[in-house]
Amino acid sequence: MFFLKMAFKNLTRHKRRTLITALIIAFAILIYIMTEGLMIGMTEMSFNNIINLESGHLQVAKKSYWDDREELPLDNLISPTEELENKIEETTGFKAMTKRLNFSIRLNNGIDELPVTGVGIDPGQDSKVFRLNKYLVKGKMPRAGTSEIIMGTKLAELMGFKNGDYAILLFRTDEDTFNTIDGEIVGLFNTPHPSLNESSVFLPLSTAQSRLNIENKISHYAIRLTEQDQAIPAAKRLNSRLKDPYHAYSWKDAAQSLVTMLEMQEIETQVILAIILTLAAVGIINTVILSALERMEELGMMKALGMHEREIVYTFMLEAAGIGIIGGIMGIIMGVIGLAIFNINGIDMSALTAGGNMTYGFPLKGTIYAGWELNSFIFVFLYGFFISILASVFPALWAARKDPIKAIYHR
Amino acid sequence: MSLIKLKGLEKTYQQGKIAVPALRGVDLEIESGEFTTIFGPSGSGKTTLLNMIGCLDKSTAGEIIFDEHSINDLNSKELAEVRRYNLGFIFQSYNLIPVLTAFENVEFAIRLIEKHSKKERKNRVMSLLEEVGLGEMAHRRPNELSGGQKQRVAIARALIKEPKLVLADEPTANLDSETSQEVLELMKEMNRELNTTFIFSTHDPQVMDYARRLIEIKDGKITNDQRRD
Repeated sequence: MFFLKMAFKNLTRHKRRTLITALIIAFAILIYIMTEGLMIGMTEMSFNNIINLESGHLQVAKKSYWDDREELPLDNLISPTEELENKIEETTGFKAMTKRLNFSIRLNNGIDELPVTGVGIDPGQDSKVFRLNKYLVKGKMPRAGTSEIIMGTKLAELMGFKNGDYAILLFRTDEDTFNTIDGEIVGLFNTPHPSLNESSVFLPLSTAQSRLNIENKISHYAIRLTEQDQAIPAAKRLNSRLKDPYHAYSWKDAAQSLVTMLEMQEIETQVILAIILTLAAVGIINTVILSALERMEELGMMKALGMHEREIVYTFMLEAAGIGIIGGIMGIIMGVIGLAIFNINGIDMSALTAGGNMTYGFPLKGTIYAGWELNSFIFVFLYGFFISILASVFPALWAARKDPIKAIYHR
Repeated sequence: MSLIKLKGLEKTYQQGKIAVPALRGVDLEIESGEFTTIFGPSGSGKTTLLNMIGCLDKSTAGEIIFDEHSINDLNSKELAEVRRYNLGFIFQSYNLIPVLTAFENVEFAIRLIEKHSKKERKNRVMSLLEEVGLGEMAHRRPNELSGGQKQRVAIARALIKEPKLVLADEPTANLDSETSQEVLELMKEMNRELNTTFIFSTHDPQVMDYARRLIEIKDGKITNDQRRD
């Protein structure tokens, strides 16, 4: 306790120096909190976009289809049965389900052609699982049994379409013959999911099925649960009841590449933190060396009185810990203020992504808001605290090992 | 009984390739309760001798026996232990910790030996500060004290753990003659009351007047050893 009191008093010797060193730690913590907050915000928004616009909470498909789903195949599709649907409906936390059919299309405007994903949707059910209808900026959702289609404003702009125009959808049927749909554009959407805006055309499921000659087959069922957190356990439980070849996949399985990318980003953030805090550690080393040099005669006296090296090191470490705590508290306060400012104004992603054209693989656009996690605050505080202590060990050892006579007569 | 026994003590410093002898075979015995002054010109070896006796430095040759134990073969940690429990130091420039009060500076020394309760510690520190005439100034920091008062705090710090030996390197060098006299009176009184052994190194004739034993050192050798009643 006495050493603690002495360490605290030593911190007041050069208040400005203590404050500046603590500020270096605080800035490192601020940068980490802001970066982490941005990452959490982007992650939450990306996951929400995937759930609300692409996958739902759960998907049920055939295993053989799932592995090749990026290829948009027309084989290994599901022929819906009441038994399968009943099993899905019995899932804990089940809220709604819809059928979807993804297939490959060449979108033609009479001059140019663009490969896009055709998505057959069940107009009556789709909005119970997905939120696409909320992002319609013009028109309406397509009606069942019609050739009505909707697409993103970005795609429409690229192909020169307006609402009410007709677009030719060219595709291969199940028998490998070509077929077309002369689709009437009845709606344009602008979602926060950039790739959906640029490369998807939605049309009624029944129309897609009949033109593809696949009867009532679908790619997968998409399911909404009452709670997002239930998705992984629900998929597990559902899989224990589903028979081969059917399998339930959570939204995390659907967004596997994004999850991997975010994990990499997290590692990157940790590396940035380590680098910044290492730089801050240099500040601590500098402060401890300066303190030791200024107090050399005192150190000599302490050694003459029989103070052990470890006790002197301990005193310096306590001082460094004090700087770490002050810096940590300041950093957390600055971080909270920074996040609050982020969350009041949001960050316009278009400024960071060249007008929304570059998404760096994130399924998001528009304004994002920072997120926060208590664990991140605790982690960065403790990280700063321990780095401060660690940084003080070597200069403190250097000071503690000084010859007592040289220290006493130090001038 | 001898508290300190030095036998053929030698100390040589190496300055580059040149060996500079500081002590050249010192034989000396100091009894418990002595009030001894070591004097001599600058560079004569008195501070080196004091450092050897104070377990702060190791000899090149010879033997140091402290309280009937040879300390020649002790490592730095063991020497620190000897200093911690048996020795008190008074420095020319006081070497007080500026951020601590007079009370805390004295308390610091007794804290290291950890054998007193908080209440006992407080009473001992306060009573010693009162004895050195600083009872009223216990909560002042060193920068709020005069030179003489600072040296009184240093004396209290040296005596608080009731050491067998107090070493004082030119304790009055930074004090005016009146304050020096007060400080010396105080040390003599402590020597009488507590039977603590005091060894000074000094140039100051005033300090020599107070000593009961005068040891003169020249060129690393004791040239005169005189006892006075």
